[in-house]
Amino acid sequence: MRYRVAHTTTYGYDAPVADSVGVGHLRPRALPWQHVESTEVRVTPEPLDLGHDSDYYGNAVTYFQVVEPHTELVVEATSVVDVHPPAYDDAGLARPWERARPLAEPHAPGAWAVTDFALASALVDHEATARDYAAASLAPGRPLGEAVLDLVARVNRDFDYDATATTVTSTVADTLARRAGVCQDFAHLTLACLRSHGVAARYVSGYLATEPAPGRSRVVGADASHAWVAVWVPGSETWLMVDPTNDQVVADRHVTVAWGRDYADVPPVKGVIFTEAATSTLRVSVDVSPLDREEPCP
Amino acid sequence: MTVLRDYVATLSQPPLPGGAPEVQRHDEVVGPDGSLRPAWRGLAETAVALTAADLRRVDGDITSLLADDGVTRTLPGGRVEPWRLDPVPLVVDAESWAPLEVGLAQRAELLNALLVDLYGEQRLLAEGVVPAPVVLAHPGFTRVVARASAVDPRPLLLTATDLGRDHDGAWRVLGDRAQAPSGLGWAVENRRVVSRVLPELYRRAGLHRAEPYLWALRSALLQSAPADLADPRVVVLTPGTHSETAYDQAFLASALGFPLVHGSDLVVRDGWLWMKVVGRLERVDVVLRRVDAAWSDPLELRGDSRLGVAGLAEAVRRGRVRVVNGLGAGVLENPGLLPYLPAACEVLLGEQLRLPSVPTWWCGDPAGRAHVLDHLDALDVRTIDGRPRPAGESRVALRERVLAEPHLFVGQERLPLSQAPTWGETGRASGAATPRPVTLRTFTLRYGAAYRPLVGGLATVVDPRSPASKDVWVLKANAGDPDQGLADVLPTTSARAVDVVVPRILEDMFWVGRYAERAEDLLRLLLATHALAEDFRTRPRTAGGTSLGVLLDALAGLAGRRHDDLDAELRSLLLDADRPGSAAHALAGLRDALSGVRDQLSPDVWRAVGSTDRAAAALVASHHSHQVAESAGRMLTAVLSLQGVTASMMRDAGWHAVGAGRSLERALQVHHLLASTTTVRRGLDADRQVLDAVLAVAESAVTHRRRYRGYVRPGGVVELLLLDADNPRSVRACLADLRQHLAALPASTGSTRPERLVADLERDLAAADVASLVAIGGADRPHLARFLEAGSTNLQRLADAVAELHLASGPGPRALHSVALVELGPGERS
Repeated sequence: MRYRVAHTTTYGYDAPVADSVGVGHLRPRALPWQHVESTEVRVTPEPLDLGHDSDYYGNAVTYFQVVEPHTELVVEATSVVDVHPPAYDDAGLARPWERARPLAEPHAPGAWAVTDFALASALVDHEATARDYAAASLAPGRPLGEAVLDLVARVNRDFDYDATATTVTSTVADTLARRAGVCQDFAHLTLACLRSHGVAARYVSGYLATEPAPGRSRVVGADASHAWVAVWVPGSETWLMVDPTNDQVVADRHVTVAWGRDYADVPPVKGVIFTEAATSTLRVSVDVSPLDREEPCP
Repeated sequence: MTVLRDYVATLSQPPLPGGAPEVQRHDEVVGPDGSLRPAWRGLAETAVALTAADLRRVDGDITSLLADDGVTRTLPGGRVEPWRLDPVPLVVDAESWAPLEVGLAQRAELLNALLVDLYGEQRLLAEGVVPAPVVLAHPGFTRVVARASAVDPRPLLLTATDLGRDHDGAWRVLGDRAQAPSGLGWAVENRRVVSRVLPELYRRAGLHRAEPYLWALRSALLQSAPADLADPRVVVLTPGTHSETAYDQAFLASALGFPLVHGSDLVVRDGWLWMKVVGRLERVDVVLRRVDAAWSDPLELRGDSRLGVAGLAEAVRRGRVRVVNGLGAGVLENPGLLPYLPAACEVLLGEQLRLPSVPTWWCGDPAGRAHVLDHLDALDVRTIDGRPRPAGESRVALRERVLAEPHLFVGQERLPLSQAPTWGETGRASGAATPRPVTLRTFTLRYGAAYRPLVGGLATVVDPRSPASKDVWVLKANAGDPDQGLADVLPTTSARAVDVVVPRILEDMFWVGRYAERAEDLLRLLLATHALAEDFRTRPRTAGGTSLGVLLDALAGLAGRRHDDLDAELRSLLLDADRPGSAAHALAGLRDALSGVRDQLSPDVWRAVGSTDRAAAALVASHHSHQVAESAGRMLTAVLSLQGVTASMMRDAGWHAVGAGRSLERALQVHHLLASTTTVRRGLDADRQVLDAVLAVAESAVTHRRRYRGYVRPGGVVELLLLDADNPRSVRACLADLRQHLAALPASTGSTRPERLVADLERDLAAADVASLVAIGGADRPHLARFLEAGSTNLQRLADAVAELHLASGPGPRALHSVALVELGPGERS
């Protein structure tokens, strides 16, 4: 599928901000299954400094600084991407899940390079309750693909989608206790389940194209940024991408922006401001519109 | 007998039956056959002749020299304690130093190469030479600089290595300090002190002086600037005066001639790093970093840090500023690396590792884990990030923690360490030196193309009851050898003076002035109160008793009242630093402000601070009432001596900030004093005694006597303390001084708000008329009360305006999400 993605983040302040410096993970990654036709980040007011780089995980990262006094900061990312269903390695998925543990099998090809995704991270610790919860899916010797899909289905079934149950600082333990959360929480929980058993898996940040209900037209800006999980498939170059929020294997409706150990590695926008302001408002609007294959970018 | 002979004799005695020491240690002074080691043979005449009386004197001199220089270390939690230096140095001869020096140079080269690989190609991880989890699970691995865009071929400029000796005398590495190595300042200070207290021994020893090493460090920092700049700007970034190594940082900055700055003094703009000098931004090219990497950039590293600079990582990646050591260097402070260094050395340098580490096993490796679990009691088991083991943790609990996350643990052999004669508490009590285990911290610097270890170091006496440092003397092989083997390095005579004024420095200077004045005025008030108390404390119903009550109320107006007992109350005002409004609080504030500008001021200020400490200690030790006056008097003398230090300062913005603070505080204190003593009438005799005390407190008694021939009347006192422009203690004179000091500050224009407020205050004083001010209304003097109240309010407003215009460096950095946030519209997350 071909999409035009517009992601606008607007901060408003009750007093002028003299200096805003920020970092964004907003430009989609170029991938074998995802062609990035165009991508652009615009910051308003006009930034003094705007630079692009590639981070430790190979994600596109944007650095900006605004020094003109402002009470509103707008970060707009617009991209056109062409996404195909990724190829999965059936042979790899049929191997026992225990093979996907880089610390247990450090000499396996590629294991060293995925070690980062098996270790505890800032937002995903090796929570004992997550380990216990996951044990039911990770029976000894069970094929990796089957075990992961079972786990994802259970997370989807056992946990309620509830935006009021969670904040950006929610931990895996909070999610387990409340049995509710949003996509980010489900991704972190799934990662904790897998990593506490030694399996390497990463957090993926991106967008999900939503389909309007039958008979309704698309509402521009009603979409949102999304998060899911990719599990290392040893012996191949591929990762199994699963979306616990929707109990799906990722195909061509997920636009990948960036990946890392958890949300903290790849937040869409983070920043530091110099201000006396006491309150701020945040408005995020995401719009993922399908384009015809041949339709030129609007 | 002399101390060292006794020491030798004691060691040579066969141990008593059953009393054999549990560990056999290498002794630094005495060989196994009971003879002196080579390093000490040459010192025999001078060192070995030192008697217990000599060492007592030397120990006492060291303590007072260190106090006079204000040498401290800050304990976790913020308590400051004096730096301790043992009088007996650790002496190493040239022959035994040489292999250590080669080993240290190789180690620094290896660690640098290791950093380059870990933050670049990661060949060691890919080939399994170093297991990936050792590095990736360590919090020092800083991913924001592990990018292709951020290649730094020389991330390690200065490293410290902690060493101890095995029982055969061989040095082994206990650990590496690469994040922001501390101790070089203390090492140089130790040498300075020892050379003064043992001059003859020092001269005879023929050892390497330490100063040339600082010159080399200065030169290396200047040369590490990113581009080929003619005159690069170098700063020392400190986490502040509450850092455990604050003294060491300030000493280094001052010795190197580089400004000591806080994160809030710096800003990143357009990808460059700048210093917020008053009125403009000045580019910074090199940062000697004493802030741990995690706290260095609230944008990309710890978001809750107030110690760093937002955008610093980006400026580093763009190669526009060099941070020393590189932001990624902390990963080297990782005992998990130790077992893999020999192999890494073979791969990276093609050499055998010369300096072995203390035997260490990483538990992420199955064989290492098995070894550690089999020897849990014999080994030191700890996490790779150096977190302390929970107190009282059982063996079973430790085993469980290791098994749950083995890759986070190592087991290390406990080195016996060598022992050296140490004076300490035992020496002071018994007059004998006792053997105590020691460790050695060495420093290695990249100077030019090669790594050069400091020929010397900082030794630590490992004694939890009486910890101390030791100077380290490395003797020259030939008297003519250049110091530090650095024949070519230029002395730092051309060091540019620290001439930059950042708002934070002005702020500390301003508070130096305010707290010094406040302490002085409070001490005078307290002394006057104590003097009255001597006569009238038992006669409350007399006029004198009433006057005493008035002065106590004046004290209470500043600090409240805590004790009914008068002596207890005065003691508390002199000793309780956490009691706002007390003299002790002002003195603590003064010390804090002085610490913030330690690199800017003459070390003589610490002599004054040391005296106030000793006066406080004397008060604690004595329960006599007269000690209150005695200690307060000595504190006052010490505070007054600070005037001498400021008198010889350059007349720059810092000096004017001190002066402005002093004038403003004095004006406020006079207002408070008059308001609490002269606005209510209490009968002729009582009023007269109060007024006498007020004149004494305001240091104007002599002037008054000359001018008014002994008749103490309210009008005369008010005239003298408020309006008389010739009396330097009057509010009018203070405001005139303040006007001049403000005019000299860089942000002043002649029409700024502080200048306007001073003009208003001066106008009000000029218009005031003594007769109407002191006019009586019932039992009070209502006009005077109103005038003083208005004056105080305006002075407080002025203080705020000065802070806002001259001292503020703008709002601090805050994470976008930390400002109270209201999410609107569709949420960011699905």
